[in-house]
Amino acid sequence: MSLATPPAPAILVEDVTKSFGGVPALNAASLRIESGEVHALLGINGSGKSTLAKVLAGFHVPESGSVEVFGEALRFGSASASHAAGLRFVHQDMGLIDSLSVEENLNLTMRRDRLLQWVSPRKERLRARALLAKYDLDVDPAGLVADLGPTERTILAIARAVEDQMAEGQGIVVLDEPTAALPSDEVQRLFDVIAKLKASGITIIYVSHRMPEILLVADRLTVLRDGRVAASAEVAGLSLDRLIELVVGYHIRPATAARQRREFGAPVLVAKGVSSGGVRDFSVEARAGEVVGVTGLLGSGFEQVLGAIFGSSPIRSGTIELEGKPVSTSTSIRKRIVRGLTLAPADRRRLGSIAAWTVRENLTLPAPGTGSDWNLVERRERKEAIGWLQRLTVQPSDPERLFATLSGGNQQKVVISRWLRVGAKALMLDEPTNGVDAGAKVTIHQAISDAAAQGSTVLIASSDVEELIQVCDRVLVMGGGEIRSELTGEQLTDAALNTAILAATR
Amino acid sequence: MTDIQESAVPGSPGGAPQRVGGSSRTKWSHRLQLHRLSGLYLLAVLILLFSLWIPEVFLTPATLQGIISDQSISTILAIGVLLALAAGQYDLSAAGILGFSALMSVWLNSAAGLDPWLSIVLAILIGVAIGLFNGFLVAVIGINSFIATLGSSSGIMALASLISGDKFVGPASQEFRSVALATFGPIPALLVYVIVVALIAWYLLEHTTVGRRLSATGANIDTARLVGVSTKRYVVGGLVLSATLASIAGVLAAAKTGTVTSTFGAAYLLPAFAGCFLGTTQLKPGRFNVWGTVLALVLLGTGVKGFQLASGQNWITYLFNAVALLTAVGLAVVFERRRTTASR
Repeated sequence: MSLATPPAPAILVEDVTKSFGGVPALNAASLRIESGEVHALLGINGSGKSTLAKVLAGFHVPESGSVEVFGEALRFGSASASHAAGLRFVHQDMGLIDSLSVEENLNLTMRRDRLLQWVSPRKERLRARALLAKYDLDVDPAGLVADLGPTERTILAIARAVEDQMAEGQGIVVLDEPTAALPSDEVQRLFDVIAKLKASGITIIYVSHRMPEILLVADRLTVLRDGRVAASAEVAGLSLDRLIELVVGYHIRPATAARQRREFGAPVLVAKGVSSGGVRDFSVEARAGEVVGVTGLLGSGFEQVLGAIFGSSPIRSGTIELEGKPVSTSTSIRKRIVRGLTLAPADRRRLGSIAAWTVRENLTLPAPGTGSDWNLVERRERKEAIGWLQRLTVQPSDPERLFATLSGGNQQKVVISRWLRVGAKALMLDEPTNGVDAGAKVTIHQAISDAAAQGSTVLIASSDVEELIQVCDRVLVMGGGEIRSELTGEQLTDAALNTAILAATR
Repeated sequence: MTDIQESAVPGSPGGAPQRVGGSSRTKWSHRLQLHRLSGLYLLAVLILLFSLWIPEVFLTPATLQGIISDQSISTILAIGVLLALAAGQYDLSAAGILGFSALMSVWLNSAAGLDPWLSIVLAILIGVAIGLFNGFLVAVIGINSFIATLGSSSGIMALASLISGDKFVGPASQEFRSVALATFGPIPALLVYVIVVALIAWYLLEHTTVGRRLSATGANIDTARLVGVSTKRYVVGGLVLSATLASIAGVLAAAKTGTVTSTFGAAYLLPAFAGCFLGTTQLKPGRFNVWGTVLALVLLGTGVKGFQLASGQNWITYLFNAVALLTAVGLAVVFERRRTTASR
């Protein structure tokens, strides 16, 4: 290597293609990230940016293409090869262990020469103190990570990643939505840390949905759209509107079956000024036959709205009414369900089903049997279950099959029938097509529309823009825990909705 | 025994579950229903083995009576433990409660000189109270049931030791003892009790919405809560039922033996849990179920009795229980994995 050659880029991605089930998530993507820059990786959900990050992390093996890290070819599919090449990842969940101390968390990734090497508590403590001082983290090394604020946690996770055997100036840190959980007035602290890392020669890949941040923190950016690199640009001189345009793109899909203006009935579910967890002052009036969507970026509060209305997470203030009658905070979940307030959680396996039980038992969970509490006749229950399975085209429509053996889409259909069976007035669905294939999506959307047509109110929390456009009559977009905008009718296009979601962080 | 026809056949990934006794191409192991009736076949093998090995001592009415009188008490205890397990709770104090109720009923009857029936009712009420206390620890305070009942069982031992002064308590009156020693014609009363208890528990668990909700609480407490089950109530209920049946078993055990010591219950713990877990591999695989548990205890009782008669050794009891428990739980874990990961 002669001195005349320019330094190799930190990362050079060339023609990388990776498909899932025949659908390309990355389509001949090529990009270049210079050593020592802060490079923003942007794109809406499903654009391929997390697939790219996972290729870099050694989690996915692409079908074709190559990646070079500091001029050396990266061996795919090996987390340790990525680590050895100098790539470090800080994911949204930080990978910190709450019940251990700050120091112990720092030591988790420390490699020792010998497995049983004597650990000197004093030296470890000194090392931890020095490291914390370097990152301006004023926390007690012996204190529990659980007691740290979100900003301290984030910085701690970054510090740990960077200090983990990284060669001087030869490191790349991938930050995945690092500000998702941070209060807006503390974001600057994180940016200071990023500036410091950059000054020491470390390359940073910054993955985020928050456009205003990109303008503040990044040097250059790459936009992915539908698995392709749609743009690569310098950040300097970009306006926020232009940036959002770049990310959302102008490709407007052909309208999906002209939206029919439908007449809605009386208000069924009314929430006024509900605050709970990260949600502040949320109000909605959903009418019979209406499908209302709630969306936003992760951390915007949209993912907590349904739990607050349903009553599975406590609310600080606000009121909820169902069919004109108040639902008080002391109303048990059982009474709420009896009155027709229902929720299908996003985590079907853990919160929405008993996987080892039969489809029939899962279907009838809220009200087992067919009448008498003291005489549960399985034969009759089975007959009723078959009816529901056929109505929602669950495949196979065998009520005695184990729930766990159904595909994700069919599982969700069983959960929806569960609530239709007990006469849901308000059907709330959290990420209804999470982990569901394209074909099943269509039938789940059909089931949602049918439920609305029968007079239920449907409330959907989803991060899937296409889905919201397809099934919702109205979509509420949240940012910072509040409703920032509302799209309805003709406004409800994917470009408009994506723009609204990104703009909601302003 | 009903509705044993409907559970999906494990190990038939992919297609619709095969109906039992289906096509002629069904594998012989399916036709014999080995996956859920293995205990029944094992029982037949054991009986055949002992009949050939020690016919003169095994094939006697005394042996049958011995098995019945030993296993009736264990089975009533196990059904209680089963109801707690169905609600997702380990009741490790069940054997302690059995011992304490046995002690208290005899003590009230002999030392305090109370009417036998009053002694029995009081002893059972004490059991109910301990169950409520366990429920309070688990559902209200939030202690893991394993720890809570381990703790309360040591407290019970302390009380038992204090009251008995570590001496034999008894003997109980003849009237008291007749509760367990009576017969209905040729049928021992204990056998009648255990059948009645099993029938009630089976109906409760499998044919009422209460039972379904109890099992849902144990199978996935978060899901149960989100579909409107008052999970805390069912947790307390499971522990109270377990304690109640444990004290009924204790009273019967006391009536059977007449005199009781403070460490009377300890030996009952392992067979009860072994029975429940072995039961999950039988009849309704993957589920805590009453008839599977009953079958398991008959199997354990027969095995223990036979080996005891054949060898005259005591250690064989412990060894047989140990092997049965570990095999049962091992099989249950493996079957569960096969069931729930089939076709994905």
